[in-house]
Amino acid sequence: MRITEEGRRPLDMRILNLEKRIGDFQLKIDDLTIEEGKIHGFIGGNGSGKTTAAKLIMDILRPDAGRIEYGGLKLSDITMTSQRPYLLHDTVYANLVYPLKIRGIKPQEERIREMLAMFGMQDKARQYARSLSSGEQQKLSMLRAMIFEPKLLIIDETLSNMDPESVDKFEEMILDIQRKRPVTWIMISHRLSHLYRLCDRLHFFARGRVIASGTGDGILFESSEPEIRRFMSKEMIAGKKETQE
Amino acid sequence: MNMIEKLVSSLFSDVGVYDAIRVTFCMSVCSTLISSVIGIALGLALERFRFPGKRIVVRINRTLMGVPPVVVGLVVYMLIMRRGPLGFLGILFTVRGMILAQTLIITPIICGMTYSYAVKAAPAVRVFARTMGASRWQTSVLLVKEMKYELYFAMISGFGRSISEVGAVMLVGGNIKGNTRTMTTAIALLKSQGIFHEGLTLGLLLLAMAFVIQCMADFLRKEAQEDENY
Repeated sequence: MRITEEGRRPLDMRILNLEKRIGDFQLKIDDLTIEEGKIHGFIGGNGSGKTTAAKLIMDILRPDAGRIEYGGLKLSDITMTSQRPYLLHDTVYANLVYPLKIRGIKPQEERIREMLAMFGMQDKARQYARSLSSGEQQKLSMLRAMIFEPKLLIIDETLSNMDPESVDKFEEMILDIQRKRPVTWIMISHRLSHLYRLCDRLHFFARGRVIASGTGDGILFESSEPEIRRFMSKEMIAGKKETQE
Repeated sequence: MNMIEKLVSSLFSDVGVYDAIRVTFCMSVCSTLISSVIGIALGLALERFRFPGKRIVVRINRTLMGVPPVVVGLVVYMLIMRRGPLGFLGILFTVRGMILAQTLIITPIICGMTYSYAVKAAPAVRVFARTMGASRWQTSVLLVKEMKYELYFAMISGFGRSISEVGAVMLVGGNIKGNTRTMTTAIALLKSQGIFHEGLTLGLLLLAMAFVIQCMADFLRKEAQEDENY
């Protein structure tokens, strides 16, 4: 892989001087690099700008200023899942194969059965997708995002409503994909536990800014940023409570 | 068909009731289909595109949704009468003329309903389509598919309006027996002849049809909502 003078690879995505105002909130990212083939985590409290940044990357929102250099990625190579996924008014199967259908790819029935079976949904292929529980709806949206093998996946809080067993399975699945054919991931969460295990790099959002970027240990345990320290102490209390329960 | 014709003839004296039912259905189905194509396309376009005066266009459409049919009938009559600008078409006192009038009455209804549904559904569908990498055309097709129950409902509402309309078809069609007489204009005629019981029977028949249509609409609405896990 060719490396540029600044240490970036040509296929890295770069966000430069990006600005977006929504009401009183303003997102401002001066320079953020999303390295190809790595798992990135956007972490921060509610309303810190994580999802807004993701929507700008996904071209759902248009920036007021600045630009995103996609590094050879096309928008059709990128997908995003959200905490409240949109499911088609159709069956689980139809939802799952939709991204394949619009790309003219014939679904591999065996693989679809395996994917559904992995999350205990093998008997639900013909069920109306919107009748699934919210956790199952999120699993379906994750599987749907992964089925067409995009080059960049943005997972916006999708794991936070799933049962721990499914979260573990998805994490295994993500790591398995990374071993076979590395893709770029942006995992968005306000839950540290989800991101710390998986991510190669974390980007900490606060007040619409990326206040720290680096490895999990680097920014969470060695940073002196007051916002990060506050966030960490709250996370640790929450973690302790979960352990006690 | 003969049996139905005999049954209808045995119920009513000679006002051409069987033909009236046939004409009513022909006119309503044709005008609903034409209005659906135009109304759905306009409703979706109105939601999709931003242009100066859009709010005024939406308000005008909403006003037209409640326009008195007799006014539309009068306008169409003036357009297609022999000395009118469209007189050369020769469609005054024909079913085609009635279809034109009905189309003008129900297109704003279907367009307005489509617009209202699309305003609610389209943003989420578009974002979803973007995240899936769908093209513009695929997004439009998906939007129509996702709104299919609502669009059926709009079409059925248009059909219901069409089947029960009397003012415009009386003016444009002329209530000619066996030709442009509809169920509603036949009722008006029966009333003027003092044959109230037959008018009432025909009215009940029309009511039964409207009821069946509303049942279909309710069924589609229920289909759309049922099984959702809120």
